[in-house]
Amino acid sequence: MNKALGSTAYHWFLLFILAALAPNKLWGNDASNTKPWNKRIPHSIDDLLGIQKQLHEQLSEVRETVVSIEAIEGAGSGVLISPEGLILTAAHVIEERGREMTVIFPDGNKVKAISLGGSELSDAGMLKIMEGGPWPHAPMALANKSIVGDWCFALGHPSGFDNERGMVLRLGRLIRKKDETIQTDCRLLGGDSGGPLFSLSGEVIGIHSRISQNSDENFHTPIESFLSNWKYFLEEDILTYGSLQGGGFLGVSCEEASKGLEVLELIPGTSAESAGIRPGDYLLRLNDTLLDTREKLTILISRQPPGSVVILDYLHKGREISVRLTLGERPAEE
Amino acid sequence: MNFLKWSFFVGVFSFKGLLASPPDVEVLETSHRINGSLMDETMGVKKAEVLDLLWGLYRNDKLISHGIMVNAKGYLLSKASSSMGARYAKSFSGKYLPIRIRKRDEEADLALWQITGSSELWPFAKWQNDLNKTKIGNWGVSGNNDLSGLTFGVISAKSRSIGREGGVMGVILEESNSSTRGVEVLEVLPHAAGDRGGLRVMDRILRVDGRTVRTTEQINEIVKKKDPGDLLILSIQRRKKETLLRITLGHREVAFDMFNRNLLMSGPVSKRKDNFPMILQHDLPLFKEMMGGGIFDLQGYCVGINIARIDRVTSYALPASVVLPVLNQWIQELP
Repeated sequence: MNKALGSTAYHWFLLFILAALAPNKLWGNDASNTKPWNKRIPHSIDDLLGIQKQLHEQLSEVRETVVSIEAIEGAGSGVLISPEGLILTAAHVIEERGREMTVIFPDGNKVKAISLGGSELSDAGMLKIMEGGPWPHAPMALANKSIVGDWCFALGHPSGFDNERGMVLRLGRLIRKKDETIQTDCRLLGGDSGGPLFSLSGEVIGIHSRISQNSDENFHTPIESFLSNWKYFLEEDILTYGSLQGGGFLGVSCEEASKGLEVLELIPGTSAESAGIRPGDYLLRLNDTLLDTREKLTILISRQPPGSVVILDYLHKGREISVRLTLGERPAEE
Repeated sequence: MNFLKWSFFVGVFSFKGLLASPPDVEVLETSHRINGSLMDETMGVKKAEVLDLLWGLYRNDKLISHGIMVNAKGYLLSKASSSMGARYAKSFSGKYLPIRIRKRDEEADLALWQITGSSELWPFAKWQNDLNKTKIGNWGVSGNNDLSGLTFGVISAKSRSIGREGGVMGVILEESNSSTRGVEVLEVLPHAAGDRGGLRVMDRILRVDGRTVRTTEQINEIVKKKDPGDLLILSIQRRKKETLLRITLGHREVAFDMFNRNLLMSGPVSKRKDNFPMILQHDLPLFKEMMGGGIFDLQGYCVGINIARIDRVTSYALPASVVLPVLNQWIQELP
């Protein structure tokens, strides 16, 4: 147990993932007018043709927004989401802030870009093209819009840019979505990292992150991670596991739920515990900032030194409580 | 040799499957996934129509490739380099019949087999010959491994020709010359052609097949014109002594791919995967033993023959427009 407590926040989360409300099924009951891609399962060749037609339409809308990214030691992918040339990618593609990288467009045109911030927790990363524009760009889905069962398509440059081949399409469905991770059965390979996962309405719902041993259970960063931590990723830094050390520490493990961040467990002796926070409570705001993702809580806490005083709003047995807490010190890695 | 310096980002190769997931987190049932059991039913009567055309080819009771019935008289088309040595073919409906080879085309890597000992007339493939109708994003459907159901995916990248790869020595040479005499060997990949032929790090290659070489490009020019298995005679300088080495060139994948993480993660891939006049690329999750079978559109027309499993996201199919000229020629020549 002690070992787990001394581990990084992420591992702490993983070890104590417990009960949570399953996301509400927003699925239509497959009425005759339900779009084929919104049915629980396609029922006929006509449904498959409907999905195919929608895929063709959205693919032609978004394909110009997908880029290959050349780093010093490898190749990844990315997607443009603003006319000024802001690109979403994976944290492990950019590695650090302020790196110059080359972005390759589908037509082979190359431009220089500079890496911005992100987070190793969700593997979110940003970079920006340094000059020119306006650039083609894809819309991002609103938070919590994509749900388990959604059809989606992955684009990217597996094994790096290849002009003859072009970008590579994969079709699949969203099979799991929890905290900092989306999983789909879209097949991925090295070089895809950072490339976009699109909904069938052509909105970015995730960024390719890691592959699973099972080729139909690959991992993506949810767009929610970007939306929740936008300002930090854009203007500040990459949150690394290493950088958590030395920052403030709350000593609370939690996971995302519809009411807020549900507290799963507390480390005894921390100020969170003495302030009365208990498992089953929901964390709502820290210093008036809405805690819409678990990652945001980690970023806010770890950027303040131990000893800082924060104001935490939380829900205890249906009652909202506001407390002042003094952040502790993160236990050393073992 | 640039690719050795290159890695491709995939992040952490995670061994954590969904089993690690707590039961209360919503997970899409396997049956509802793109290759889940319920998908087969969407094809209605086309499911059996497609599967009725597909056969498994067996050698020593082991599945070695798929094949597709192309003629009522029991002619099966398959991938030549995978189906060599096949003795029996097994249908979706469970028939297990002896076969013998009738034709083979090295260039397209196709072979024509005939069912012997049966005068039954068989359902055979209809073709979609127009490559322009098979667009990126179109559904593609093939049989699954044991032909008990279908496999789904999409056409995933541009149709194109795949060039010849040529033989390789499996060494890394200096990029800019450190001396006016010959080219220095910087690295020798273990067990690859150069290593087996006795080439060592710091050797200087002076002549290749009798031609004096001064740059890496000159060596590459000579090597890439040769095929795997061809002999290369090198004059090298080692510790001021000149020696002759005979190197039998190897395959690119054997030499380099043991260092390629993408391939390590992909499982077994097809041996012959280059030098095709035209291919369709798709994302159907097929094993290498499923090459030689057809890939179909939603109407049940065969758009191509699966010809190479490249990696975990890529398979190639020879489009009908490449297959049919070869096939029609064969059918004419046969009784």
